[in-house]
Amino acid sequence: MNVQFKKGVLELCVLVLLDKQDRYGYELVQKISDQIQISEGSVYPLLRRLTKEEYFTTYLQESTEGPPRKYYQLTAKGKSYLQELLEEWNQFSAGVNNLIKEGVHRE
Amino acid sequence: MSKEAFLSALEAELKGLSKAEKTELLQDYRDHFLFGNEEGKTDEEIIASLGSPQVIAKEINANYHIGIVEDKANAGNVFRATWAVIGLGFFNLVIVLAPFIALVALVFSGWITSIAFIGSPLLFAIDAAVFSGFRAFEFFASLLLCGIGLFIFAFMKWVTKVVLQGFIRYLSFNVSLVKGGLKNE
Repeated sequence: MNVQFKKGVLELCVLVLLDKQDRYGYELVQKISDQIQISEGSVYPLLRRLTKEEYFTTYLQESTEGPPRKYYQLTAKGKSYLQELLEEWNQFSAGVNNLIKEGVHRE
Repeated sequence: MSKEAFLSALEAELKGLSKAEKTELLQDYRDHFLFGNEEGKTDEEIIASLGSPQVIAKEINANYHIGIVEDKANAGNVFRATWAVIGLGFFNLVIVLAPFIALVALVFSGWITSIAFIGSPLLFAIDAAVFSGFRAFEFFASLLLCGIGLFIFAFMKWVTKVVLQGFIRYLSFNVSLVKGGLKNE
């Protein structure tokens, strides 16, 4: 799949994953790369940018093993942004699916 | 590549960032290695899935410099942000650099014109003193030019501000374009 396209989708994936519960960086990376092939390194700059844009807040939490985990929490602003992106995504994917259907029928 | 080599390569590429920003990001990657190791992954495996430090750094730098320009625009910032965006892809060389040069040339020529006009009484004074003596027509013409120059000066101040803001918006648009974001900013 096209690299540029995936980067846009990555933003949506991160937001969706945080909608249900707070997660830490590594966990987010693993969740996404279980499903889609990504350069895992590009998730952290994205998290940083979305935090700066006030879609997330972060907090540190000690764990029994390993380093303290930096958790990301969706803000109200983040939630409404997620809704916006979801709507765009649904329109977009529905459009593409329609085109594919039409294309397949004609063959 | 070892973990240390990865981290120092990344750090080296992040030269322009503020210290706090750099520390925070590097910590993210350091933690990533620790979490990965805990799951039994080797450093080599982790590095392979992270991607190259150069590519990661390019993205970080572009994000960072655009953030700064949005906070406070000045010539140096805009210039650095332009370069950072160009770094995102060759495609941008034409799409970002060409309008940038054209705009800079336009604004620059406006300023030169206004400064030359404002300075014209001075040229008249030199001319009058050294060469041809006082001539009323040239005296008043230079005063008129000076006045026009002052108007252009005020106008250019406004133009420069507008152009800078417009260009910043164009840069942000470009970053989302290059990244293929779904949102239309």
